[in-house]
Amino acid sequence: MADVASLSPGAEALRRGAAGPSGPKPRHVLSRRNIFLYGTLIVVALYYLLPLYVMIVTSLKGMPEIRLGNIFSPPMEITFEPWVKAWATACTGLNCDGLSRGFWNSVRITVPSVLLSIAIASVNGYALANWRFKGADTFFIILIVGAFIPYQVMIYPIVIILREIGIYGTLTGLVIVHSIFGMPILTLLFRNYFTSMPEELFRAARVDGAGFWGIYLRIMLPMSLPIFVVAIILQVTGIWNDFLFGVVYTRPDTYPMTVQLNNIVNSVQGVKEYNVNMAATILTGLVPLIVYFVSGKLFVRGIAAGAVKG
Amino acid sequence: MDIANPSVSIQDLSLNFGAVSVLQTLNLDVAEGEFIVLLGPSGCGKSTLLNCIAGLLDISDGRIFIKGKNVTWEEPKDRGIGMVFQSYALYPQMTVEKNLSFGLRVAGVPKDEIAKRIARAAEILQIEPLLQRKPSALSGGQRQRVAIGRALVRDVDVFLFDEPLSNLDAKLRSELRVEIKLLHRRLENTMIYVTHDQIEAMTLADRIAVMRGGVIQQLDAPQTIYNRPVNRFVAGFLGSPAMNFLKGELEVGAVPVFKADGISVPLGRYQFDGDGGRAAKPCIFGIRPEHIAFGDAAQAMPFTAESTVEIVDPMGSDTLVWTKLGGQIISFRVEADKTLRNGDAIRIGFDPARASLFDAQTDNRL
Repeated sequence: MADVASLSPGAEALRRGAAGPSGPKPRHVLSRRNIFLYGTLIVVALYYLLPLYVMIVTSLKGMPEIRLGNIFSPPMEITFEPWVKAWATACTGLNCDGLSRGFWNSVRITVPSVLLSIAIASVNGYALANWRFKGADTFFIILIVGAFIPYQVMIYPIVIILREIGIYGTLTGLVIVHSIFGMPILTLLFRNYFTSMPEELFRAARVDGAGFWGIYLRIMLPMSLPIFVVAIILQVTGIWNDFLFGVVYTRPDTYPMTVQLNNIVNSVQGVKEYNVNMAATILTGLVPLIVYFVSGKLFVRGIAAGAVKG
Repeated sequence: MDIANPSVSIQDLSLNFGAVSVLQTLNLDVAEGEFIVLLGPSGCGKSTLLNCIAGLLDISDGRIFIKGKNVTWEEPKDRGIGMVFQSYALYPQMTVEKNLSFGLRVAGVPKDEIAKRIARAAEILQIEPLLQRKPSALSGGQRQRVAIGRALVRDVDVFLFDEPLSNLDAKLRSELRVEIKLLHRRLENTMIYVTHDQIEAMTLADRIAVMRGGVIQQLDAPQTIYNRPVNRFVAGFLGSPAMNFLKGELEVGAVPVFKADGISVPLGRYQFDGDGGRAAKPCIFGIRPEHIAFGDAAQAMPFTAESTVEIVDPMGSDTLVWTKLGGQIISFRVEADKTLRNGDAIRIGFDPARASLFDAQTDNRL
């Protein structure tokens, strides 16, 4: 190094930066770009978080405090009474056991619907992607078109079908309805995922002697965890949040949580208990919220999977 | 060539995708222990043919025999074949050992037998240290070795290779090419190997089947295909740099002569196919760059001509020189230490016996 420097004395000065910028470009924390970017982000975040804040604050106040009308002020005296009431003793119609009944109904609707619809749709997608049977494309198109028909059109015919089978008003009926309506979008999801997997893998498994179920269970399933997570999230939130099917296909003692929430909030007689309503609403929304928080990272990974090769 | 007891026999095989005919009444007999290479440009149907032999594609017509057994309607696993894919197709969630044993486990082979076969395959391919690794922790060359191992443990009669080296870099490719050749010598299995790489085809094959448009153009030993291509497509596809083609006329007399703008090449030493040399007609004269001599060596050749250098392409091991003959551009090879410049006057020559003559209308060899 020393030899080189002595050969060209000007080179050292040049290297020291006398001749203009070198290295990483300096960034200013308070540049216009940063202020604009983070300012926008903060405003948007506040806009979305404010309602949640109001709900939590209100649910922790007693009725006298709510009547003062300061909806943004934090509670002076924190009480969990509204939460307990919303969960255990709030009245809907004849029953006065709160949202707990609806919660367990929703669990009994959501769990089997999610498992059933994903089990069927994943096999559907696998068959459509890998075992190109005769008429596979036609079948797929019919299935997808089904996704575009408005639900309202099908409500009444399904009522008749369920009544004829004898499961109208039962949870079984609702589980079947949810599973069927989840089919188009889930099948599309799985088909596209399996199509993006290298075809040679499937061929290698066939040469190795694995059959339809062998390839599905031993090769495809272990490779498709991300898309199963996506499907579970879509179905859990979709079915948990469902109101229309719940109100149409069940009876009052089998109402899902969303329908019960509506009945609590919209009850006309007596005083409007805003704190109980807020607590009940948060309780109902808690399940999808937890699902998103727990699986957020996996969700994004699953959605992005297949976009990149390998 | 008639083969008494073919290991693989394909009879009148056709495959259509809707209205598109991919393979047309194709016949191919592969002898026991033979290394056959299916060579052709992409889209020529060579991989499709391999998939038909493997049973991964349903054929439209014809029959396939493996080891004398009609396997036309058999599942891939029952055909006695092992297959190696271009993208390796290793199961990503399984270790190398589980990858190797998957087929055996599906078939319900006893555990000690599985262990024995894996040990043998791992020893042959030298992948013992890798057995507990996942495919993602392997290099490309190692992955392809494991993929070959997966075919090896199945103890099959016929190996099918679908462009197995195309995903590897040039250095690894030539290393694995040698390994595959050694493997074939050791196992003496029948191997059918698909590639678009003529070097792989020339070095590995006992016989090459050159394909185009779902039809086998020529099926012969590599040297025959190289020296006596049956048509202009085969002539142009094999050889790098490609064969030179000169348009001209075939004239018949005491000695047939090829005539193009300003040159006439006597074809007394050329071996015509059948009575190809009897009638005068437009034809195409093909001569490989490596068969054209230059300078002093050209003097000794039966045909010589004067020309000037147009372009010089140094390629390291040798140099490709472009010049004009009969008004048409041709190239020839010289040693790398020859210093030629654009515009130099040169003398070139060749032996017409090494040339190939094609009918200008049908493109078939004369």
